[in-house]
Amino acid sequence: MTSEIHEFCDPIHTFIRLDSDERKIVDLYPFQRLRNICQLALCYLIFPGATHKRFEHSLGVMELAGRVFDVITNPFNIHSKVKKIVPKKKELEYWRRVLRVAALCHDIGHSPFSHTAESDLLKEGGHELMTVKIIKSNIFKKIWKELKLKSDDIVKIAVGQEKIQKFSDLKFSDWEAVLSEVIIDDALGVDRMDYLLRDSYYTGVVSGRFDHFRLIDTIRILPREDYNSGEPALGVEEGGLRCVEALLLARYFMYSQVYFHHVRRIYDLHLKDFLKSLFPNMMPDKINEYLKLTDNEILVEIYKASRDNNNSSYKEACRIVKREHYKLLYKGNREDEEISINALTLIFDEACKKFGKENLRFDERYIKGGKEDLPVLIKDGRIMSALMCSKVLNDIPPVKTNYIFASRDIYSKAEKWLDVNRKKILNKNKKDR
Amino acid sequence: MEDCMNRFERSTIILSLIEELRKKGSWCGDTHIQKAVFFLQELFGVSAGFGFILYKHGPFSFDLRTEIRAMQADRFLTLEPTPPYGVSLNRIKKGEDLMRDFSDFLNAYDIQIGFVAEKIGDMWVSNLEKLSTALYVTREQQKKDVEFRAKYMHDLKPHITLTDARSFIKKIDVLVEESKTV
Repeated sequence: MTSEIHEFCDPIHTFIRLDSDERKIVDLYPFQRLRNICQLALCYLIFPGATHKRFEHSLGVMELAGRVFDVITNPFNIHSKVKKIVPKKKELEYWRRVLRVAALCHDIGHSPFSHTAESDLLKEGGHELMTVKIIKSNIFKKIWKELKLKSDDIVKIAVGQEKIQKFSDLKFSDWEAVLSEVIIDDALGVDRMDYLLRDSYYTGVVSGRFDHFRLIDTIRILPREDYNSGEPALGVEEGGLRCVEALLLARYFMYSQVYFHHVRRIYDLHLKDFLKSLFPNMMPDKINEYLKLTDNEILVEIYKASRDNNNSSYKEACRIVKREHYKLLYKGNREDEEISINALTLIFDEACKKFGKENLRFDERYIKGGKEDLPVLIKDGRIMSALMCSKVLNDIPPVKTNYIFASRDIYSKAEKWLDVNRKKILNKNKKDR
Repeated sequence: MEDCMNRFERSTIILSLIEELRKKGSWCGDTHIQKAVFFLQELFGVSAGFGFILYKHGPFSFDLRTEIRAMQADRFLTLEPTPPYGVSLNRIKKGEDLMRDFSDFLNAYDIQIGFVAEKIGDMWVSNLEKLSTALYVTREQQKKDVEFRAKYMHDLKPHITLTDARSFIKKIDVLVEESKTV
């Protein structure tokens, strides 16, 4: 059967190429739905260009996944101690297909506005559980049969060990674990590579860029000899270490300037409030009902509510549509934390007593993941932890949000009150202890 | 009580483990803390709400990994390269202050933390992986004999030989019995 190669023009990767079989997946409704789910939720209210969607991000992840696969399975790049886990040539074509399809479908279960209210509105398992359900549904059964792909292989690699073991007892072989790392790994995962590059481009925050070409060229499957373990993991040759540093610095900059921007965070909180009022019994988890929901349906409800002051969600909607969002009253800082470890909570509690909890919002979040402890193949053949080779990786600070927001109705009073009372509140706690 | 641990209580448990492991000669890498928390949870039911899955180097908690990063952001600990071993976790002044503030809370777990530190404090990562995987397998395959669990362990982690798997399954059975006397 002849297969064509189709091309998407893409501002990040220039061209994204896929064959006719992959194109069939793209043309299905669950994937087309991603055209209407913003990658960064309401971030476009702060960064006007940030209107890109999960659709093109998923295509980008697929493109990069294919490139990484070709590099790590190139016979010249396979380390002798991991040769046994790499499948034979005949099977590699199958796994390349599985990886690209898994990358294409890795976000297919996303709810409207991406991560905003996931933990409150989706059942335990989150969008990953919905991704698994959709991939294994009747919508895709025919196509997996046609392409001779096992849906279990796709879901494992698309979702990864961490998430899938929360709701499934699927076990991973070493090879499957490595393939899932190609998509979701903290340092070398193509999901992160694409979203950093894409988000940087569309927000206009230039410091999110890094040399992904060179990085991909140096990715290898390496045995974790640095831990005296034979377990294989994704790592880099020493020449790629600077690119890893650049990627992780880009991540740090994007988190501190975009993802954890205080106005972005308060819009997320207001959107979450609205979504909780719209779905008091959580979002539907039946696939057909779930797939009807995109950002568009939610935006219609937000606008409707903002035009009807009898609507129970009128205030939440106005905060978003009319830019009546709460303002930043207090941001945690080192000086105050030296006086009291839980400065943020103390100030929030006192502010609530003074002004009422409904007029305040609290936001404390930490960047997910740990230190990026990937293996590095040194020029002399030894394998070392990246954290032992790079001071930069050790010194990149973890990012967190620690904000208190106040409604505009009480903001001026609250600001003055805080100015007068901050030290007293923090020192009172010190005395009480 | 364990299910209701707040962030600071969880941090003090982790900091206390770091302190006790160091006293027993550990260089306190991330893997050591991961396994120590796992043992504390599985042997004594001290659960700070971290879910463990079987991952690289055995049982692993992504939530705990994020928690350690958060503790670094809160300046309770630092992560420093310690050649030739790896990156070690070090409690710093604010962490010491936190432990002092929560000393009453920590007292309830002194003995259990001490037991875990005693048993694994001087272990290398490869043996920690084997011992913790043996415990994971034993919990999952309860009432199965040594041979069954060893084969299961080897199938899950092929780089752990059957001989090693057998040896560590036997070690964990002894450890579990000892923990019951604590």
